[in-house]
Amino acid sequence: MADRTYDDVTQVPVDDTEDIDRTEVRSYWQLARRRFVRHRLAVIGAITLAVLIVAAAVVPLVVENATGVSISKSFAPAEIVDDEGNLVLALLGYSRTGINMFTQLMAATATSLMIGFAAVLIIVFIGVVIGAVAGYAGGWVDNVLMRVVDIALSMPGLFIIIAFVAFWGASIWTIILAIGITGWTTAARLVRAEFLSLREADYVQAARALGASPRRIILRHMLPPALAPIIVAASLGVADSVVLEAALSFLGFGIGAEQASLGTLLNVAFEYLNREPYLVLFPSIVLILIVLAANFLGDGMRDALDPRQRVEQQ
Amino acid sequence: MTTVSRSVGPLLEIQGLKTHFFTQDGTVRAVDGVSFQIGHAKTLGVVGESGCGKSITSLSVMRLIERPGKIVEGSIKLNGEDLLEKSDEEMRDIRGDQVSMIFQEPMTSLNPVFTCGEQISEAVQQHTAASRREGMDRAVEMLSLVGIPDAKRRAREYPHQLSGGMRQRVMIAMALSTDPDLLIADEPTTALDVTIQAQILELMRDLREKNRMAIMLITHDLGVVAEMADEVVVMYAGKVVERGDVRTIFGNPHHPYTQGLLHSIPRLDERVDRLEVIKGTVPSPYNLPAGCLFKRRCPFRMPICDVAPPMRQIGEEHTSRCWLTPAGEPPEVGADPTPEEAEAAGEQLTVEPR
Amino acid sequence: MTTQPTTTDMTGSETSSGQTSAERTVARGGLAAAPLLAVDDLVKHFEIRGGLMGISKLGAVRAVDGVSFTVTEGETLGLVGESGCGKTTLGKVILRLIPPTSGSVTFEGKPLFELNSRELKAARRDIQVVFQDPYASLNPRMSVGEIVGEGLYVHGMTNKREREAAVRDLLKRVGLNQQHIHRYPHEFSGGQRQRIGIARALALRPKFIVCDEPVSALDVSVQSQVLNLLSDLQDEFQLTYLFIAHNLAVVRHLSSRVGVMYLGKLAELAEADDLYENPRHPYTKALLSAIPIPDPTVRRERIVLKGDLPSPANPPSGCRFHTRCPMAQEICKVEEPPLRDIGGGHLSACHFAEDVTPLKERRAS
Repeated sequence: MADRTYDDVTQVPVDDTEDIDRTEVRSYWQLARRRFVRHRLAVIGAITLAVLIVAAAVVPLVVENATGVSISKSFAPAEIVDDEGNLVLALLGYSRTGINMFTQLMAATATSLMIGFAAVLIIVFIGVVIGAVAGYAGGWVDNVLMRVVDIALSMPGLFIIIAFVAFWGASIWTIILAIGITGWTTAARLVRAEFLSLREADYVQAARALGASPRRIILRHMLPPALAPIIVAASLGVADSVVLEAALSFLGFGIGAEQASLGTLLNVAFEYLNREPYLVLFPSIVLILIVLAANFLGDGMRDALDPRQRVEQQ
Repeated sequence: MTTVSRSVGPLLEIQGLKTHFFTQDGTVRAVDGVSFQIGHAKTLGVVGESGCGKSITSLSVMRLIERPGKIVEGSIKLNGEDLLEKSDEEMRDIRGDQVSMIFQEPMTSLNPVFTCGEQISEAVQQHTAASRREGMDRAVEMLSLVGIPDAKRRAREYPHQLSGGMRQRVMIAMALSTDPDLLIADEPTTALDVTIQAQILELMRDLREKNRMAIMLITHDLGVVAEMADEVVVMYAGKVVERGDVRTIFGNPHHPYTQGLLHSIPRLDERVDRLEVIKGTVPSPYNLPAGCLFKRRCPFRMPICDVAPPMRQIGEEHTSRCWLTPAGEPPEVGADPTPEEAEAAGEQLTVEPR
Repeated sequence: MTTQPTTTDMTGSETSSGQTSAERTVARGGLAAAPLLAVDDLVKHFEIRGGLMGISKLGAVRAVDGVSFTVTEGETLGLVGESGCGKTTLGKVILRLIPPTSGSVTFEGKPLFELNSRELKAARRDIQVVFQDPYASLNPRMSVGEIVGEGLYVHGMTNKREREAAVRDLLKRVGLNQQHIHRYPHEFSGGQRQRIGIARALALRPKFIVCDEPVSALDVSVQSQVLNLLSDLQDEFQLTYLFIAHNLAVVRHLSSRVGVMYLGKLAELAEADDLYENPRHPYTKALLSAIPIPDPTVRRERIVLKGDLPSPANPPSGCRFHTRCPMAQEICKVEEPPLRDIGGGHLSACHFAEDVTPLKERRAS
């Protein structure tokens, strides 16, 4: 034993290939998708949201006079095709004034979702730009921008939106803009925090040591990981914006009846609460569906995009 | 209550312990048939690389395995009583009283909102009939025992006010405050600098003498083991691959993995041109080789290695999970069971020789 | 009991078979006159700021506080010290990843801190880095090919096929399977990831690599693989290393000269063998004595230092080590010892360097 060393025994030739990994290559995004699909509620949320979006986009288009008044139809029962053979999709019947309640609901859903997504787009854009600049530059730039964020946060959001609407009138675009420019602060903080920590990350330092330009470092190494929390925040932001718009319209500061949103429907329904309480029901259900679906989706994305949640190889 | 069986048998006896994790991707046999004992007031070093199951073994002894993990088989006898048959309540009394544990990162195992003194006092009160005041006195006494200067003042400080070395001392003070028979130390010095590590190791050696306490020292640092342990258990991929007296393991290792580990570390006192290496990496727990778990990396690989080797007697108090003869030679044809024979013998062969 | 350990037999046959890698590199380094890298009185203080706009100064962490040394072409300079001694900061300042407070670093005669951005980008081809944590140092969203090829792309190799061929060659040289070029970091083990990081550093054919704790996050059996790889690559590409680590045994294995840092200053700097056999600073001696030897039959003199590392924001007066030094005298509290040559190029920053005795060691039967 004493004079034998570890490696002087003739080695049995070992088949080198047994160590080669034969599993399929999985990229970060493939893994994220796999984790997302495992999150059941998130998948349900995504499907619900997709169905709502498609229905809201398609139904008012295929049905002629989707939101029009037709007194002759007052309190008519549910029907899919009317007496003349036109597609009407009046799944929920007609109101006192003869409005097709289902198509009206879908048109309102379209308006609400449109406001929600458009506002989030503005929020993400402003938030990412300000957060990225503050986080990448650091120092006094960061200090100044963060004080701006503090000031923006300290202002009462709802009040500003109402003032906005009062000044420029209650169009759908004013509302989107108003929600957008009052809601970006959280997104900016998220991106900034992410950038600050990524700036010190070893792989960012390595890229810098290789001589990569700041542009490349931001676009290639910092923005993609910073986007993960942004995508999560955005999906939650859609729900928030939809609810905020509904609240505005419900209070009467929102868009008028010509382009009704779910909030407008609720506002109208509230007037008839004593006589026709069921009117409140349908817009409320859709609103709740949107909020729940967006929240589940956000949860699922959070889990899917978190690299700590590893999916082991087989 | 612990004094009754003190003189009879080993302090801790683990027999055929299997702790498996049931994940979505399959079963991970983190600990797969581990057996060893620790005698009274002895120090056992458990050595292995990350993922070899050494920490899971210690958590199993503490019964701190959480889902998706489960202890599926085996027995863990402390002073002759099987811990796996205890109720959760009984186990809570045993933890911190008869067995204590210290972890690698003391910051995460200390509660940040209580002072160090309060935490030690709490542990004392839980296991003895001590009052709050007595608990606090004991805390101060323990803190000065582990070499914390100005213990009275330190007892009133919060964990974040202390340095890493000091926190590890507080952890040790807390673990020892109830005078346990067995201290499980899971990488107790890995997060510390070498000069601080030297302080902590000296403290542990010192307290081991004073308290007549057994230590199960889990580490990847062979230097720490050589310095602290009486006996050594080497683990690889969930199994014990070699076991013996510390001098035997370091002076005359039998298992190719143990040999490889010892030869691959750079040493201060011996300068070599090239380090010996163990080729390859630890196999994925989802893709363990059939037969000997080390065969893909082993320079001695033989056809018989496709059959899982049992723990075999190499010398007195020295066992190894390898088909090589005690002298380290490949087994002669016919001297050992053929693969077919061994396979037929199956379970019987993997029983540890007593 | 037959206690002649196999280890000694092995190393006996090893050392007789040839020079050690350090001996070779010393010989090679001795030929070149001008140093490849010269660090002169380098200082890096991190200011602690506070107040309303975060502008008022509250103090400074003296991470690196006046360090000077040179690195000769082809050699490996080891830098050891405990956490908080400033060794990692020093590496990052040399790499110009963080700006210095004062002092200069000269690389091949060029003052690194005075280069404009174009000159700096060119210099970066020659100076590369390998990081400690193989999990944090690779972008999880990029494939191995993209990671290793990034430097090539940034420096103008925009042809994708050409780049892929270069990356495949690099993967082969660091001992990775070329088929893995399209895989992502999460599919590799720690050791394999560290090889990817080394391939990335090698891509631009640098002259000088800062290795910041390249093996301390790896398993024991994998450490030796990576250390051997580093020394093979050094021979193959005539690399010069600044090897930063806390593990003295690892540093000794690879380095021709070793510097010991304590609280932002060099305590001792000498030829590796000289430093380990004849430490001339009580801190080095304590550090050496604190390392457990993986051999239960050897007992070495143990110096257990009292107390903890003082805060680098408020270092002790005089000699920074005097609060923990077993040899401290009155003079140590007031007068800061300079780093001086005590003979044969052995530098020590101790008033009593000549009185430091070698560690005692004995082999128990």
